[in-house]
Amino acid sequence: MGLFSESVSVSCTDTGQPQEVQWKGTQYTVTNEPVRWYERRQWWLEESRAPLGHGAGLVDHEIWRVQLLPTAEPEPNRSITLDLVRHLGSGRWRLLRIHDAAPSRAVEPEEAA
Amino acid sequence: MSFTHLHVSTAFSAHYGVSWPEELAQTAAADGATALACTDRDGLYGTIKHLKACMDAGIDPIIGVDLAVFDDDGDHRTQVAGRVVVLAHGNNNGAGYRALCRLISDAHARTSGKAGGAVPAAVTRSELASRTLDPKTLKPVLTVLIGPDSDVGRALGGRKYLRPRTLFKQWIDAMPAGTMVAEVVSHLSAPGEPLSTAHAVRMLKLALEYNIPAILSNAVRYCAQDGAATADVLDSARTLKSLPELSAEPLLQPTGQGWLKTPQQMLQLGKEIMNAAGQGKADLTKLLSNTEALANKCRIDPILDMGWKKPVVPEASIIGIDADPMVELTQRCEAGINRRFPGIKAEAEKQLRSRLEHELGIICRLRFASYFLTVAEVSRMILDMGVRVAARGSGASSLVNYLIDISQVDPIRHDLIFERFLSGRRSTLPDIDIDVESAERHNVYRKIFDRFGAERVTLMSMQNGYRARGAVRDAGMALGMPEQEVGEIAKQLWRFSARKFREALVEKPELRDFAGRVERGALEENQQLDLLVDLTERLDRLPRHISMHPCGVILGDATLLDRTPVQPSGLGLPMSQFDKHDMDPMGMLKLDVLGVRMQSAMAFAVREVIRLHPSKAEVVAAGKHPVEPGGNGPDYIAPDGRIDLNAVPFEDEPTYELIRSTHTLGCFQIESPGQRELIGKMAPREFNDLIIDISLFRPGPMKSDMVRPFLEHRHGFAPEIYPHADLKPVLQETHGVTVFHEQILRTFHVMTDCGLDRADEFRRALGDEVHEPGVEKYFRREAIKKYSPEVVDKVWGTLKAFGSFGFCKAHGAAFAVPTYQSAWLKAHHPEAFLAGLWEHDPGMYPKRLLVAEARRLGIPILPLDINRSQAEYRVEKIQHGPDQGKLGIRLSLTGIYGLSGAELKRIVAGQPYDSLADLRARARVSKPNIKRLAQLGAFDALHKDSGGKANRADLVHHLQALQSSPSKKAPDVIEGQLSFALGDVELRNLSPDLPEPTMVDNVRAELDLMAVDVSEHLMESHRPLLDKLGVTTANKLLGLRNGTEVLVAGVRIATQTPPMRGGRRVVFISIDDGTGCVDSVFFHEAQEESGPLLFGTRLLLIRGTTRRTGPKGISLSASKAWDLSRSEALPYAELLPAEVGLPDEYTHRGPLHGISRHLAITGLGS
Repeated sequence: MGLFSESVSVSCTDTGQPQEVQWKGTQYTVTNEPVRWYERRQWWLEESRAPLGHGAGLVDHEIWRVQLLPTAEPEPNRSITLDLVRHLGSGRWRLLRIHDAAPSRAVEPEEAA
Repeated sequence: MSFTHLHVSTAFSAHYGVSWPEELAQTAAADGATALACTDRDGLYGTIKHLKACMDAGIDPIIGVDLAVFDDDGDHRTQVAGRVVVLAHGNNNGAGYRALCRLISDAHARTSGKAGGAVPAAVTRSELASRTLDPKTLKPVLTVLIGPDSDVGRALGGRKYLRPRTLFKQWIDAMPAGTMVAEVVSHLSAPGEPLSTAHAVRMLKLALEYNIPAILSNAVRYCAQDGAATADVLDSARTLKSLPELSAEPLLQPTGQGWLKTPQQMLQLGKEIMNAAGQGKADLTKLLSNTEALANKCRIDPILDMGWKKPVVPEASIIGIDADPMVELTQRCEAGINRRFPGIKAEAEKQLRSRLEHELGIICRLRFASYFLTVAEVSRMILDMGVRVAARGSGASSLVNYLIDISQVDPIRHDLIFERFLSGRRSTLPDIDIDVESAERHNVYRKIFDRFGAERVTLMSMQNGYRARGAVRDAGMALGMPEQEVGEIAKQLWRFSARKFREALVEKPELRDFAGRVERGALEENQQLDLLVDLTERLDRLPRHISMHPCGVILGDATLLDRTPVQPSGLGLPMSQFDKHDMDPMGMLKLDVLGVRMQSAMAFAVREVIRLHPSKAEVVAAGKHPVEPGGNGPDYIAPDGRIDLNAVPFEDEPTYELIRSTHTLGCFQIESPGQRELIGKMAPREFNDLIIDISLFRPGPMKSDMVRPFLEHRHGFAPEIYPHADLKPVLQETHGVTVFHEQILRTFHVMTDCGLDRADEFRRALGDEVHEPGVEKYFRREAIKKYSPEVVDKVWGTLKAFGSFGFCKAHGAAFAVPTYQSAWLKAHHPEAFLAGLWEHDPGMYPKRLLVAEARRLGIPILPLDINRSQAEYRVEKIQHGPDQGKLGIRLSLTGIYGLSGAELKRIVAGQPYDSLADLRARARVSKPNIKRLAQLGAFDALHKDSGGKANRADLVHHLQALQSSPSKKAPDVIEGQLSFALGDVELRNLSPDLPEPTMVDNVRAELDLMAVDVSEHLMESHRPLLDKLGVTTANKLLGLRNGTEVLVAGVRIATQTPPMRGGRRVVFISIDDGTGCVDSVFFHEAQEESGPLLFGTRLLLIRGTTRRTGPKGISLSASKAWDLSRSEALPYAELLPAEVGLPDEYTHRGPLHGISRHLAITGLGS
């Protein structure tokens, strides 16, 4: 964990829920109600500073599990599930995990260049 | 929409909550809330602050507690099943608040009051249940919130279906109807973890299943997201585990979402929970309306529920008064006039009576008569115990206090203003502070409890917050840094707020090394030190724990324990959870009964005088007291030799001579380096000078340069200037300089005719950003009617500058009494006085300096002797030798490293001993301690008497050998059989093998085991080297011209960094070289030159130039310092002529070498 890899582009609804995802050159649409949670960070290893007033996102980051279908060819067998992390400070999105059909067998993505 | 947070920990939940009540209340109000709860863990520590914060923010306070509950099925004394929140219902005339107080006191009743006690603060479920109903009406007055941290909530985290239901059912069965709700909390952690939405859903469903109302909360620990990291560090400090350790367990908060979310965010959170639960909109509405309904039930009326600002004092009957307290008080004042002012008449009596009427009128209007009678009762009770007692503080401004024996200062003589103490325009109880002998303080407390009854008395507590050193230690532990490394850093932090750590890194020379490491660390990607600085700043000021306040005792009526929760103090007596800031808001009467070591030292000295000189004639002769022709000495010495210190007149010339000599070590309030300098400049001639001296020596006057003009006018170097002739009577005693609060009050009154009561309100507003502008407007508007614009401008400038920190003359007068008395004792009975100081150690310096002072005064210091030393220091008349007939001070057996209290008692009980065997048999002193006593020379006399030829080193060697051989049971002396006095065969037969221990060895043993250097001053052995280097001794400094460059050397005795004009830090370091003290001042440049030596070094060589401060005063402006114990690093090249090499003595190791045990030697800790 902690392997933030690829940057992905995500557009959200008014309430901040992911709606569309651009990943590896493909445009996906979120098909189900996404699930959201927060996970801790080992900020004392990952950060060099933690001054008072640093703001949100030091201790945890926001994770969304989204089920996606390619927007152009929404065929059920091409469904994928991704865990995306939104950095609370910058608002940028990165890919955290890729699930195949069975969400229990998640694979860590390779370190991106 | 509005949402009310019902579960909120403030920073007063020690090592748990992050945010202050003010931030929380302001934020809640800004988010549109109309109420906010404060539910600190284990008590109402932040409640009163919360009340005030809510009133300021214009919202209703809700109060409660987050409390542990014992496991019904486990060990009832130690096993806790979980935590619940308990909220008090409001608007029921305090019934809810009362129940909450009592419940919390229940929770603490079994704890020990000591840190690390085995019993946690917790209640049983049946205690909780029984407190939820009002005992009179049997209506619910408390609501219990069963949330994620309760036994139910914890069980819901597992996979078991039945367990949480069984537990929830137990709660429902135990609690009266309508006293329980389910608390639904989601911190949005990952599915399956505690505080996840799924976890919240389970609690919600459980509530629906059993038809118990569910409410929504966010279990808040910090005001905003930023606080989450601080909460992590607090978790580490609480559990004493590092963040990596906590993370592995995992014991950290699962997310950082426990902040004070906005109503919109809480609504969104509710929606997410309902979605996940598959419930609809109606259920969400119900959840939120339940929350608001509970909030409404719990809104507290600060006045009706909690008695906000309504003073409560003990019932008159408890102090034995049936009549109207006002009548009683008036009668006692009448009686006091005859006693305090015998034979007063004419104008003086008229003045006295009019003052008394004025004071009594105000006391009557405020209905405070019982208060004065209560304090008088306590005062009388202490006097009856035979304990020295003195009133301190503004209480000395009151004639009533003087007449009923609360205070010893005559307010008319010293021109003190009653309104500074109490006026018709203040409704809060005034402060009366009482000083007692420190050694008797706990007995006085117990007596107060006995006298007023345990239901009316409790000790006050105090909050201990993080300061820089503690903060850096705990921050370092959180990061998992080695303890030793963090300890080294902590040592260098010297009196600045942790909040300014990063700023200090740039500025402070002693942190230069550390700052460099932080910088290099950042370059090398080692960010730990950078984080350490940030986390230290985060911890700044956060409360760590409460403890017994050093002097506060709360007195109330029979309802006191309905108004404050109490918990055991370390002393065993109950202690309120409220601190001094909570007293006025809660209308509580607090007496400050402060233990003053100087009072104990003086009482001790008076007892020693009478023991040595058991008649008036002997005391008069020994103390050189004045005898009028044909008389037999002063009235304050009784026929049996007892001195009534309080009756000693304030006009004794030898006492003022001593004070002017600046040899005032040991004297109350005037012994610090700065005070000795001021006294040298001021040369006090009378009691009022002492009052002025004490009042001038405060941060405010020092900082604003009031001292210099005052001295110039006093000595006639510059003409006195008054802004207007009308102010001359007000300012004359201080030569035109405004020093006292009383003068500020009178200035306001003279120029605006506002009355002294309003003048005191104006004074309080000075320096207050909000209120000062109004005062200025008033002053200018009124004063201009009688005075020119220039005068008005000038006077306002003075008021504005000095008003906020001038000193209350009544304080100064009350302080000056023990100052005078201690100087009087030092002038007349120095041996007894010093023995008292050694015994009670009242001052700012290490004890060894007072020993050095005895040496300087030529008072013999008598060595430890197993047959002569007692459990306390004793003055002895010397029978033999060159000092025959003189008085010396015999060292005490207390304070020897390793010697237990029980051993000490047995030694003293069994004296005298004729042999070591005798000592072993009867006093049962352990082998290591016998050896220690030998090292200190306690057997030298015995040894000599035995006729042995060996020396102390042989004896120590012999005892060392015995220590390592297995113990052989000595034959018991049969009871009743007299052991035949053979003398000491063991000592006589010791063979003389070893060389005599050197003086350095002996002094080192004394420092190591007693923290004092007795045989000779510890600097003495350095003298040959220092002479070569051309070092000047303290007693020679006064003879030098101003501005002479000198080297001085000595052992550190005090380090101070007082606030200074212009804000640049100045460090004062005082050293003692055996001939006296050298006070040196390090300005910025010298601090830069000396760097890390400033605070860590015990033996110092200092170069500087002399600064003459007065006829008897001289100090040093330092340019550089070296560590004398690192003799290889001394600047020989600079100091010695080129052809001379290193002196032979440069490798000398002094007595301090190798001793790390006693910080008490050098006063480094202070």
